[in-house]
Amino acid sequence: MNNQIKYSDDPLSQYINSDKVEKAPEGFTSKVMASVQLEAMPLRTTNFLRKIGMIPVISVSVTIVLILAALFIPANETALSFGPVVDFIKNLKISLPEYDIKSIISFNPSEILIYVVIGIIILSLFDMALNMLFHKDKG
Amino acid sequence: MDYKGDIYYIEQVLAGKINAFSYIVERHKDKSFNLAFRICGNREEAEEIAQDSFLKAYRSLNGFKMKSSFATWLYRIVYNTAISNVRIKKKGLLSLEDFPADATDFIRDNVSEEESEKEYKNSLVNFALQKVNEEERGLISLFYFEEMSIEEISVVTGITKSNIKVKLFRARQKMLEIIEKVEKRKLIYHE
Repeated sequence: MNNQIKYSDDPLSQYINSDKVEKAPEGFTSKVMASVQLEAMPLRTTNFLRKIGMIPVISVSVTIVLILAALFIPANETALSFGPVVDFIKNLKISLPEYDIKSIISFNPSEILIYVVIGIIILSLFDMALNMLFHKDKG
Repeated sequence: MDYKGDIYYIEQVLAGKINAFSYIVERHKDKSFNLAFRICGNREEAEEIAQDSFLKAYRSLNGFKMKSSFATWLYRIVYNTAISNVRIKKKGLLSLEDFPADATDFIRDNVSEEESEKEYKNSLVNFALQKVNEEERGLISLFYFEEMSIEEISVVTGITKSNIKVKLFRARQKMLEIIEKVEKRKLIYHE
């Protein structure tokens, strides 16, 4: 649009001097750049792990390692090929508890309540410890 | 140093050369500050708004479509930041008595009469601007000071072209009424 035409019949334009530009104060660019540099710093240090969070990554990694370990441990001793590691796991002599279906049916919450409370406390402490470990840089 | 165009420096910033952003700031700082100042009417607040707008622009530079005008995009950020800032810090409207009745208040040493007259008119317009609402202030600033077309103002403000015309007409009428009142008061003062 031609501004000369635009202003020709406009009484307000006689009061307005569009050449009069209020200039930005001295040091404006350096102030903006200082803020931009501050803004940019976390971007430089941000890596993939920080972006998605360390805790889920570690949890998923540990789970995958355990699943793989379970898959690769042979069912019979004759097929052993993982040497001392598998020997060690086998020697742990861990046995899964036997499930008694009757006990599940006759389940009484008050009997296990104390274990649930202890479990919650332990997990909470563990969570707090992890939180302090991974968020200590945030102050 | 020759300015190589907004797009060139934007690409540099996106490629990780943050300092290239200073050329963009240097290029657009006065117009951005001017727009913020016209809307909020205070130099300190205008500086804050303009700085904040540049920071917002930097943060969302990834989202800028290179085919459109960077200046228009930036003014949209400045306009919105200034309008919301004024809405938050809603101040009481000025009364006519807040404007000096004596035009000699604008006469300074070593300044010609013509310059003093310009200074007076500029102050009068700034005063009248502060008497209309923030949206009208923004539209007047974009139209008269930034000399933008209705189409460009529509892009910056997000208001339809027909609505801008109506709002501009009303704002203009209001400002002229205020200016006339001040001028009448000045005449009475000098009689």
